[in-house]
Amino acid sequence: MIFNSLIFVVFFAIVLFLHAMPFPWRVKKINLLIASYIFYAAWNPPFVILLWLSTVVDWFAARGLARAEEPWKRRVWMLLSVVVSLGLLCYFKYGHFLIENFAHLASLAGFQYTPPQSSIVLPIGISFYTFATMSYTLDIYLRRATPARSFLDYALFVTFFPHLVAGPIMRPTELVPQFEVPHKATPDQLRFGLALMTLGLFEKAVLADGFLGPVVDQIYNGKAIPGFIDSWVGTLAFSGQIFCDFAGYSIAAVGAALCLGFALSDNFRFPYAAVGLTDFWRRWHITLSAWLRDYVYIPLGGNRHGNVRTYFSLMATMLIGGLWHGASWTFVVWGGLHGLYLAIERMLRKQFSGYRPGRAATAALGLLTFLLVNIAWVFFRAKTFHEAILVLGGMFGRNTHAQPVLAGVYLLTTTAIISGLVLAHCFMRSQTLEAAIARAHPVALTALWTIMAFAVVIQHGESNGFIYFQF
Amino acid sequence: MASSISSSEEIVHDTRHATLPSDLRLTAADRPGMAQPVPERDIPQQPWRTIALAVTVLVLLLTSLWELKMRTLDLIPGDLGESYDHWAELRRQVDKRNVPVVIIGDSRILFDSDLNRATQLIGVRPLQLAIAGGSGLPILEDIADDPHFNGLAIVGMAETAYFDLQLAGVRPQKALELSRWESPSKRGSFLIHRMLSHGLAMLDDNYQLSTLVFRLDHDWRPGVIDPSQAIWKAQETGAEGQTWLWRRLEHDRRLSEHMHNAWLHFYPPQPLDDQTINAISGRTRVAVDKIRARGGDVVFVRPPSAPDLRAIEDKHVPRARAWDAILAYTHINGVHIDDLPAVQNLTLPEGSHLSRACATVFTDAYLRNLAGKTSLLHLQPGAPPALSTRNCVRPPLVGLH
Repeated sequence: MIFNSLIFVVFFAIVLFLHAMPFPWRVKKINLLIASYIFYAAWNPPFVILLWLSTVVDWFAARGLARAEEPWKRRVWMLLSVVVSLGLLCYFKYGHFLIENFAHLASLAGFQYTPPQSSIVLPIGISFYTFATMSYTLDIYLRRATPARSFLDYALFVTFFPHLVAGPIMRPTELVPQFEVPHKATPDQLRFGLALMTLGLFEKAVLADGFLGPVVDQIYNGKAIPGFIDSWVGTLAFSGQIFCDFAGYSIAAVGAALCLGFALSDNFRFPYAAVGLTDFWRRWHITLSAWLRDYVYIPLGGNRHGNVRTYFSLMATMLIGGLWHGASWTFVVWGGLHGLYLAIERMLRKQFSGYRPGRAATAALGLLTFLLVNIAWVFFRAKTFHEAILVLGGMFGRNTHAQPVLAGVYLLTTTAIISGLVLAHCFMRSQTLEAAIARAHPVALTALWTIMAFAVVIQHGESNGFIYFQF
Repeated sequence: MASSISSSEEIVHDTRHATLPSDLRLTAADRPGMAQPVPERDIPQQPWRTIALAVTVLVLLLTSLWELKMRTLDLIPGDLGESYDHWAELRRQVDKRNVPVVIIGDSRILFDSDLNRATQLIGVRPLQLAIAGGSGLPILEDIADDPHFNGLAIVGMAETAYFDLQLAGVRPQKALELSRWESPSKRGSFLIHRMLSHGLAMLDDNYQLSTLVFRLDHDWRPGVIDPSQAIWKAQETGAEGQTWLWRRLEHDRRLSEHMHNAWLHFYPPQPLDDQTINAISGRTRVAVDKIRARGGDVVFVRPPSAPDLRAIEDKHVPRARAWDAILAYTHINGVHIDDLPAVQNLTLPEGSHLSRACATVFTDAYLRNLAGKTSLLHLQPGAPPALSTRNCVRPPLVGLH
């Protein structure tokens, strides 16, 4: 089920109604758990079994970890959890990719191997809930957390529908304590939660799907040779689409949880106002970058073992981050580019450690960050390297036989939306959404909420899946 | 705290905490290598009750005005548009019950067939499985592989769509995939959408906000095809698959001329190669043989198109190389509009599809003709008298039935 579908409206209304009933807290939690399984099963019922498997294995692994005294026993329990979680992820997400690459390598070595046709279906959101359950056992292994006291609370942490399929990637310490004590939204929490959901759906349904998606598709379909303007507008449109799609989902998830009285983590902090790539990753998909930092970068050595090890850890983390997004070498290149950006930035920061940029230099560095992020997005969006090279060729003025691709209205709407988006991010750079809303005039707030809700209503149409569901 | 956390990173964290501006809150990015605490979500101080009430009233008001505006544009409640979900629902009927007659093909046979007239003539209501913009071949192959089907398949053929799968093969494949597997959530959303569409005319995909904005473009950038030159809304779809040319195209000259112009530029001018035509003919024959082996049959129908459009179509896929050749190769019977003298000069408001009244006349003509060509089609003893071009009288337009 996705947030921008009619069935979700009915589903959510029923969940809200049941949660408002004077049932005991345990009954309400069971309701939420069942609702979350229905939410997941509505996409493909058999895959609920995977969710159960992931939940049960990590529950018992965590209990084993907590009981074990000897380090080797603790390590065995931790490895059990990691192997099962990553095993499922590898099979469903990377199985076909691995076989394809094996066949390719075999052919390079002179052996002809034709892999069987793969019929593996990627379970929706598997990367998200796998990381969530892994953080549970890893936090206990690292002695940052203790096991949940109740299986119900733990199962609800894994399955809670607002964050289940596309994050924010919650940690057990963020959510389990909330399930331990009764939570019910206050009337203002409910209204503000609905306002956040409207904002999220506006970003997703109107901006990402309605206005930006069609522009991106025309440039990234590999059919036309785009020139300088078309390549840049298509890529800028994608930068807006991916943000509005994913940040829209995240804010809708936060809103949905708030309507039930729960708090989810921030996943975005106006990333297109970032100055530097380190800053970008502190603002973009925060819960993933923090996860990778805590469970990959730091265990690999972080910045504690000299420059070489630091750069290795950085690059390895970003490559894994790239691969997390999809089983394709284009995602690996995307991650590698970001790793390279971060490494260069780190070197420059050391070289010019005393430098404090003024306003103009800060703006220029912000613009440079945005451009670098956009160049990397090309590999994220393109399905093949051929497509990526075609678009990059256009962006750098190398496509000599380019023809105009995008109609004037696409150039106009994309420019307007992206300019508005970047300006909004710059304006909001040093504040939260809540702080800005608190300062807004109620009439302006009413007008803005009305416009967004009305735009969602008249955009309607077939609901597209969120881009991040495939990750 | 775990040993894997470096001291330097902890220091960074402490420093950030101390210098955090008052309008910001900490996120996981600010807390490296530690258990993340329960998030804080403050509710901004605002009169939320009043705001929510005002938003509800305003959105309802604006939506009502929008609905009224959409109805003035001849959008009507109950129109399901080009829904794959609806098609998939119809397709699954083949697996559930005995379906004696199915219609498959492209938008011509879809808009130009009056299912009520067909019921009066042959005593059964055909199942309409044609898809606008789609070749009939993938659907024919699908029902040929379905052991449940042993009836008559009437295949509508605009040669340009039937033979050119690059142009017209995508939509049938999408529809077929959905008929084989439709997630419960997609199915549920469709059922709710259908329920809502009975009361709301505004739920038409062709009149979404972004589509309307994109259509404002009129040659703003030379050298590209702007969205306003694309095909706009063409069809009106009711329950049980009855589909007509959109009523507005029968009286809105500007819109019908726009559509006519769009059709004129829709097909590539170069002829389709013999290899492709032979391949399609071969696949057709295989499908036909499978259906006939189960006692079923297949017939072809070629609906009319305006002379200027027909000239373009004949250049892309000429009748002699396509229609005549495939009928001879597959031993299929068929009826071509050129061979129906009683129904020449039918009204084609936008050049490609018949008006509603003429669709009834054409249905009457092609079914009477086919009744003599296949043993699976019989005219009812009490069938109404034959219609001709002069019966193309526009009836008063009412809602969809």
